[in-house]
Parts: sequence; structure tokens; C-alpha cells
Amino acid sequence: MIKIYYFYISYFIFGINMLRYMAQMPALIPKEVEIQRLKKIWLIVIAMGSTAASVEVDNFVDGSLHQTSIRDSAFTPAHWWLYSHFITLPLGWGAAAIYDRKIPVLRGPNNSMNTGLKMTILGYLATMFTIGVNEMWHFWFVEEIFAVPNHWMFNMGVVVAFMGALAYVVRVYARLVELGAETPGENPYVAEMYKMALEGKLYSRAIP
Amino acid sequence: MTLPKGFGSGSAGGSSSADIERMIGKRVENMTGMITISFWAALIATFGGTAAGYFYYPWAYPTASGHFAFIVLTIIETIGYIFCVKVMEEGSNKNSNGIIGASVAGAVAFVLFVSLYVGW
Repeated sequence: MIKIYYFYISYFIFGINMLRYMAQMPALIPKEVEIQRLKKIWLIVIAMGSTAASVEVDNFVDGSLHQTSIRDSAFTPAHWWLYSHFITLPLGWGAAAIYDRKIPVLRGPNNSMNTGLKMTILGYLATMFTIGVNEMWHFWFVEEIFAVPNHWMFNMGVVVAFMGALAYVVRVYARLVELGAETPGENPYVAEMYKMALEGKLYSRAIP
Repeated sequence: MTLPKGFGSGSAGGSSSADIERMIGKRVENMTGMITISFWAALIATFGGTAAGYFYYPWAYPTASGHFAFIVLTIIETIGYIFCVKVMEEGSNKNSNGIIGASVAGAVAFVLFVSLYVGW
């Protein structure tokens, strides 16, 4: 019972602190500087998004190869493609994390890394280390069954990374809208939805 | 507004436009050249990757399959390229539609040439 009480108290204090930080953030850097920095983050995000889309294409290419040759080697084009991207993605998002420190509004709890970014990097790091785990597995088990545990790590890593990236991208976009650098859709209904989302009233007013 | 160390006049005061320019560094609307070079580097790397497939492993990667992957990836990269340039230039008086148009047309011509004449 006491433990539950402590949990609630700490959660409450954390919430209060979050509100305090959010109230302080907007005045830390000039608006124009923040817009430029957010857009530089945007460039990295678009490059990483294209890379992630490319990995999805290779998922089919690699799967197609493994239907003709069950287990070949680590050095087939489909594997170069897959593995190089699973190294590029954590490094690229890591670059985003380094630059991200220049934008106060994107900081995570207690001035740590943004939670979405944290999840993205951890997810892709999992896929990067799974390259080695996967090769060790296939050294002993010369098959290429989709459902073996070493492949779960690839898939779960990607899912965690996608969830984090979505949270981060929405945060960056909402901030650009807030600063007036991005305009919400021209459709008045969509514009109204963005406006309500920024006011935190999207669901309470849009859904009767 | 409090500015980082090294910026501003030293006393408590606002930031000048020179300070703001220095904090920004290279502006994103001036990065079109770099973005275009990156797009072409990605495109050529993609061609190299798919070509390695059908030249070195033709038993596993028929040429048509490699070209299909090349076309799909070029579309992904082109969307990213257009998105990058348009988002970076919005709100400024820069307009690089000519560069984008030439670059995308060049990419289309390159992909058509590769798909029709390379690896068959």
C-alpha cells in the first residue's frame, strides 16, 4: 500500500515538473533560430525515413532470396543492403540526438534525451546488435525460417524504433506549427483539427 | 532573452540580428545544392547495389527483379528529395523548382536507361 502511495506521489511530482519545464521552454532561444534548427532535424528525419522505407523494400528482396537459396552467407547483396541500413539507422538517429540538444523544447524528462528519440535509437541499436546475434545463430542452424528468435529481435527493434520515431516526428511538426513555420492543411476542417490539437481539445470537441 | 555564452553584448540585454545569424549558421533554405548532391549520391549507390545483385548473383537476382527494386527505391528517394527541398525553402523567397525539375527528370531518364539497357 505504501509502495503504491509512493508511486502516485512520485508520478504527481514528475507531472508538476513536466508542466514547469514546458512553461519555461519557449523563451530559451530566438524563434527564428529554433525554426532553422527544427528544420535541420527535419532533414535528418527525412533521410532516416527514406532509409527505413528502403529497409522495408529489402525485407521482401531478402525474403525472396531466402526462398531460392535457404541460407547463403552474410555477404549477399540483400544482406549488404539490410545490414548497412541497420548500422546507418542507429548512427543517423544518433546524429539527430546530438543536434537535438540545441533545441530546448525537444528535451525529455529531467533534461534527458527526448523519449521518442531514445526509443528510436534503442530500437535500431537492437537491430544493429542482432546482425551479430543472427550470424552466430546461422553458424549453427543453417536455415532461414522467418519465425526463429534471432529474427524476432530484428522485427521488435524496428517496431520499437518506429513508435519512437512517430512520437518524435509529431513533436517536431507540432512545434513547427506552433511557431508558425508550418501551416496546417488548407482544408478548414483539418486546420481546425490542428488548432484544437494544439489547445489539447481535439477529442473533447471533435468527438461528441 | 538570455543567450548562450559568447553571444550578445555581455550585459543583460536582447540579441541583435547578427547574433541570431551566428546562432543559425548555414540557413536551411541555402542547402538545396547539398541536398541535390546527396540525392544523386543515394541514387548512384542504389544503382550500384542492385547492379551488384544481377551481375554477381544472377541466379538469385534476375535482372528484372533488380530493376524493379531500383525503380521502387528511386521513387522513395525522389519523394524524400522533393520533400526536403520544398520544406527547407518554404517561408523564404527562395525557389528551386528548376533544379528539382531538372534533377527529377534526369533521375527518370537514368532509371529508364538502366532498366532498358543495363544487365540484360
